[in-house]
Amino acid sequence: MGHPAAISRSGKESNINTISKSRIERFVLVLPALGLFTFFVVVPFVQGVVYSFTNWDGVSRTYDFVGFRNYLLLFSDPELLLPIKNTLIFTAITVVGVNALGLGIALLLNFQFRASSFFRSLFFFPIVMSLVMVSYIWSYLFSGFFAPVLGITGVLSNPKTVMFGIAGIALWRDAGFAMVTYHAALVAVPGDLIAAVTIDGASPFQKFRHVVFPLIAPAVTINVTLWLGWGLRVFDYVAAATRGGPGNASMTVAFQVYKMTFVYNKVGYGQTAAIIMMIVILVLAITTTSLLKRREVDL
Amino acid sequence: MRLVQRRWRWGRIGRIATVVIVAVLFFSPLYVSFTYSFKSRQEVAFAPLAFPTRFHLENYRVAIEQMKFLRTLFNSVIVTTGDVVLVLFVCSMASYVIARNFRRGYKLIYYLFISSIFLPFQVIMFPLYKQLYVIGFVNTFYGLILTLVAFGTGFFVFIYSGFVRTIPLELEESAQMDGCSVFRVYRQIIFPLMQPVNASVMVLAALGAWNEFIIPLIIAQRESVRTLPLTQYFFFGRYTAEIGVAFAGINLVMIPVIVFYLAMQKYIVRGVTAGALKG
Repeated sequence: MGHPAAISRSGKESNINTISKSRIERFVLVLPALGLFTFFVVVPFVQGVVYSFTNWDGVSRTYDFVGFRNYLLLFSDPELLLPIKNTLIFTAITVVGVNALGLGIALLLNFQFRASSFFRSLFFFPIVMSLVMVSYIWSYLFSGFFAPVLGITGVLSNPKTVMFGIAGIALWRDAGFAMVTYHAALVAVPGDLIAAVTIDGASPFQKFRHVVFPLIAPAVTINVTLWLGWGLRVFDYVAAATRGGPGNASMTVAFQVYKMTFVYNKVGYGQTAAIIMMIVILVLAITTTSLLKRREVDL
Repeated sequence: MRLVQRRWRWGRIGRIATVVIVAVLFFSPLYVSFTYSFKSRQEVAFAPLAFPTRFHLENYRVAIEQMKFLRTLFNSVIVTTGDVVLVLFVCSMASYVIARNFRRGYKLIYYLFISSIFLPFQVIMFPLYKQLYVIGFVNTFYGLILTLVAFGTGFFVFIYSGFVRTIPLELEESAQMDGCSVFRVYRQIIFPLMQPVNASVMVLAALGAWNEFIIPLIIAQRESVRTLPLTQYFFFGRYTAEIGVAFAGINLVMIPVIVFYLAMQKYIVRGVTAGALKG
């Protein structure tokens, strides 16, 4: 990679002036992004960390620093157990389900068939709909169609089934997305390799397990990490489909943080919960990715 | 030989039948949504599955009025356009310099940006709200658009920088030797070469801004700046009784999305997979 100074020096009229001029120009190009990011992300982030050590309610003019009290409270707060459980249920179902369905549909469509791209775009369509809209379609389907027409009652109004209902909504929206990633990976599997093992007498399952799957393992890593990150942050579905109800039955961590901050005015505490949530997401995402990456080699 | 062929053919037909059945089941929610929106209350009660006998447009009239649909649609168009245009320039300019790695500081900026990709918005939402409130940006298009741009910087700089690294250095070097300024190199050489990735970025930014929920929920709640997802959130919070109207409201919001999907499908698939594979 050529160093810019070296580039300029090789030019005829190069001097210190042109070098420093291009340095300034380069900085000017970065400045809008850096400025926006600093003002709208970095500064609020730092303030947020500071608030997590206070008892601020978000409205008063003053607040006290309370050290790590919020952090200690957080780890013994029984009201957080249900949101944590719900978030984990949602994440587990979506990570497993979206990948299984996406890969399943991709495999189903992976044969010489003229209309297959038409069907792929059909399955992919929900990805352009907002999570809010998908939630409303399904909440009306559950209440206005499943219950009176099909006799399946109370999916979203029963505390025992509500998280499964919400996860089901997410599966419907996201399966097509995973399918597209898996399709891209499947297309890249060399056809003569498949032909060779078919001649050797491999069964379809053996072919998939020992030839295809190791080759698409990177797509699995990516998809698992993506839905893990989204699942642990789930907010829109819950906010739109149930608002955390019935009662608190479908409260998730992200939605609880929102309510702590903007409904119960516990800014310091909500901020603490948000920071812990961020750390947990980062740790889980990084460990999962590195574990899966290591597995890729073994397959 | 004959038998093998026949079995193969039946396998194929079975597979196509499975595809069709799965697709029909998958799309049935949208069928219900479409037909219900044209049904009167009586039809919903007595003929739930049937195709509507006559198109009852009353539901749409009510939904358009109650959602203030046209106003909201306009808001969504403004916010999305503003976000897409800014992302396109702000992120591509920054990524050019960052990816070329001119000084060590830029590497630091790069890591600062991409570390925000997994950042939950909840961590910054309250301080950001307070800060925007102080400078009068709460409930304005500026506040909403600039927040969207800033919060997307990490992801889009990541996509752009990955692409810039694949552009060969020779072009720039000879241009610089001819005395081209950095601005001109960016504008006349780099930006035009970014065409394929620009399309992906535009599509991803447009979808993101159009569908964003939590950012407008925090900083743009007032009716005059509400975007479509937010309007739906408040609309369905209040008018839940009549299912025909509800589905009419859903379908209205879906029309622009369908148009966008049909027109841009190629770029959406490309953009989303590029985003996923790199992210």
